[in-house]
Amino acid sequence: MNLQSSESINEARKAVGVTPADAQSWAYTFGGLVGARRVVTDPAACAAFSVTGVTPSAVIYPRAAEDVAAILSIASSWGLAVIPLRNGTKVGMGNVPLRYDIALCLKDLNQVWQYEPDDLTIGVEAGMKFGDLQRYLSRRGLWLPLDPPGGPRASVGGILAANASGPLRIRYGGPRDMVLGMKFATADGKIIKTGGRVVKNVAGYDLSKLMIGSFGTLGVILEVNFKLFPLPLHRQTFVFPATGLEIFRELRRAILASPLTPLRMVLLNPPAQALATGLSPDDERGSSHEFWVEVGGSAAVLCRASQILGAFGARAGCEPRKLDEGVARECWDRIADYTTWASQPERDLWVLKATLPIASSEKFLEAVYQETEQERWRVASFAQTGTGTVLLSILAAKGDAKVATFVSRLRTIASRLQGALTVLEGPTSLKQHVDSWGPPATDIVSMRKLKQTLDPNGILSPGRFVGGL
Amino acid sequence: MSENKSEAWRKTIADQAARIAGHDAVLWRAEDLMLYEYDGLSTMGKPDLVVFPSTTHHVSEIVKLANRNNLPVIARGAGTGLSGGAVVASGGIVLGFARMKKILEIDVENQRARVQPGVVNLDLSLAASDSGYYYAPDPSSQKACTLGGNVAENSGGPHTLAYGVTTNHVLGLEVVLPDGEVIHTGAPYLDPPGYDLTGLFVGSEGTLGIVTEITVRLMRKPEAVRTLLAIYDRVHDATSTVASITAEGITPAALEMLDGFTLRAIEEATHAGYPLDSAAVLLIELEGLREAVEEESAQVEAVCSAQGARHIRVAQNAEERDKLWQGRKNAFGAMGRISPNYYVQDGVIPRTRLPEMLDFIGEEAIRYNLRIGNIFHAGDGNLHPLIMFDARDADQSGRVLKAAGEIMMKCAEMGGSITGEHGVGIEKSELMPLIFSEQDIEMMKQIKSIFNPADSFNPGKMFPTGKMCGELRVQISEGAPQV
Repeated sequence: MNLQSSESINEARKAVGVTPADAQSWAYTFGGLVGARRVVTDPAACAAFSVTGVTPSAVIYPRAAEDVAAILSIASSWGLAVIPLRNGTKVGMGNVPLRYDIALCLKDLNQVWQYEPDDLTIGVEAGMKFGDLQRYLSRRGLWLPLDPPGGPRASVGGILAANASGPLRIRYGGPRDMVLGMKFATADGKIIKTGGRVVKNVAGYDLSKLMIGSFGTLGVILEVNFKLFPLPLHRQTFVFPATGLEIFRELRRAILASPLTPLRMVLLNPPAQALATGLSPDDERGSSHEFWVEVGGSAAVLCRASQILGAFGARAGCEPRKLDEGVARECWDRIADYTTWASQPERDLWVLKATLPIASSEKFLEAVYQETEQERWRVASFAQTGTGTVLLSILAAKGDAKVATFVSRLRTIASRLQGALTVLEGPTSLKQHVDSWGPPATDIVSMRKLKQTLDPNGILSPGRFVGGL
Repeated sequence: MSENKSEAWRKTIADQAARIAGHDAVLWRAEDLMLYEYDGLSTMGKPDLVVFPSTTHHVSEIVKLANRNNLPVIARGAGTGLSGGAVVASGGIVLGFARMKKILEIDVENQRARVQPGVVNLDLSLAASDSGYYYAPDPSSQKACTLGGNVAENSGGPHTLAYGVTTNHVLGLEVVLPDGEVIHTGAPYLDPPGYDLTGLFVGSEGTLGIVTEITVRLMRKPEAVRTLLAIYDRVHDATSTVASITAEGITPAALEMLDGFTLRAIEEATHAGYPLDSAAVLLIELEGLREAVEEESAQVEAVCSAQGARHIRVAQNAEERDKLWQGRKNAFGAMGRISPNYYVQDGVIPRTRLPEMLDFIGEEAIRYNLRIGNIFHAGDGNLHPLIMFDARDADQSGRVLKAAGEIMMKCAEMGGSITGEHGVGIEKSELMPLIFSEQDIEMMKQIKSIFNPADSFNPGKMFPTGKMCGELRVQISEGAPQV
């Protein structure tokens, strides 16, 4: 932390001791720290930062990492609950926060502070938009091979905090596999560095792992170092249409056992196909499922992939068709980003994510279809069967509480298949009745101790995460 | 912490341990303990007792026994670690995992395996081989080292360039905590909700918990593998090639460098077929779809030639390839033929700085009048300078530590790390301040105290004692094991 902000903290701390009675007075203190214009208490402006129906009393826009640390330090002393965010692509996720005083908007922490394209590494600030990062990297033919929900609007910090990934996972792994190190601010205002910026490093505890997926409950991610990858030379998407999940089970097995390493693989039911092509899920056509397989590489690699996949299709009785590359790109963006699966004014949108052993993917889908057969919901399923990840979009009548019961039933099914189910998105009115994360496992005891140590006053996104962390 | 105890006292504890783990599972006589005084680092420490548990329950009960008697507990796999991770720092019970070496399950369709910590790294890959799968992280000691040790140290290996280190391949753990409680972290599916405790435990060097079961990811074996040996007359050309290959966006499965000094030593010992008159070679392996390997191979050859490779040899068959790798993987052993002792380092630097760094190491060798060989994971900038010495020569030993310390300092200066895959252990604990602030280290200690408040699990590791800041904690004595 630099000297200047240490002084600001000290000054601010003079006021600490008694928590100011109202938001206006504590906002004044934060204004002294970051500038009055960077603290907004206007109710309408605050409402834009609501998280599952809870609105903060102030939005603070820190200028730099040191500001974040200073703000957290004071918030800790005063017991003010803080949720870090940028564009709010994940405000629908998680349980309803217990308290929420300050929205910490990291939009001005958006700098690239170290870039070594020849070394395939980059260090960026957490508030940088994912779309900006990808654009920046693409100039040198590089990318961060993630396709998280929220797409280009998601922030780097948010993607990591939510451990967000998409269908590219099958080829490149998730955020935890790409992060080399990071800086984060603790609840008591320290800036901690963990890991480093070289591609191999085992010095000390890997605290990046703790921060990734901690959903803003252990600290605020400030800067991240990534390892980068070259963009695939060409890409080709193959679409296998068929009815009957058995065919797709065999196809999945055949592809995973083949020498191919697809970029993405996802099984779409008819409503999901409609969403993928930019239509409403009500516009579904036909009754067959489609298995979309994207392959990347040189022309020779794609040619070979075409042979292999063609042979698999012939054997299964579903010849694959090739999608136009430009169209495919747009479709994949929609498939990866559930926030584009627009909800409708008259209906509730639920997005569920099941993670299962690979072999259980199709069994889980079968169960979903069976359970929803009698319902008048529109269920779109996006099943990344190669990694055992199934996303479901459910459109139900407004306030239909039966979906909440369905979630727990589905959770039981997932756990019987040795998997888990989380709610990514749901109507605020019903969120109180559904635990987004499901019951914690036995390691929750250790997790609670971690939370207690790193955030003893419980100011970081309180109540949003699993088991009330 | 505790001093070593009297034989009679040790016998009493041994009797209690025997009631838990079996009468043939405990060593307590001084002569029996000697084998457990060291690992791959030439630093020694005496345990009070060695116990070989057969079950998780044994581990938990022995931990409780240790707690009642205020004894530290140190987990030990095969003792191949190079940072002193399994060396006892201040007495205590060593838990040897030689009896927990079952592969519990290989689940091909779900691409995972469940193993006990004593399973030898290579044995898992061999067991999965018939189904066309393998376990990717491949430390050079993979014929001996155990997966439990790999998890503790977050071990790497040549092929981690493309596939990542241990942490990228572990899905879940069963862990005995310092209070004897057993917890399960992670899951056999992706993204279990909650903090990534698995990611925290991997690489924690036995200071947070003792792993008793591991679920790992298995990978499908590639269709095609091609191994090339690029031969150089100048070290600088070889290191420039590494930077160029990375910059070209080619990620080989492995990209190793051996300098002339090292490859001549290896050639004498293993006849791997390395050219004796070269200044350096790059061992490059490409894997994947036949077509991709074909194309990348041509690209790599072009880069090597452009950077001044004298000759590029392609292994023509599996036998030739194995030979090239045998030379690489047995390199440390080969050093024993030319030097009574050697000291190996594990620093990491950005790959683009390799030419500069190798020059620096060369200068250090001249400055301190030492022989330093270089054999390392060039593709990810993970250096392994091998400093030759004779432990009987005190002056020379002092120079070794000076040069080693300066090389580490240089790694830190370049924005690198003090360890890429061997771990901090005893060896590098005082170097942590080179790359972490006091506050960063304090945070790690805070995390440690959550799980291990009494410092009873593997004390004396990873964290600086503050007594010899910036210095390597390597004892070089005549008693040190020869390698």
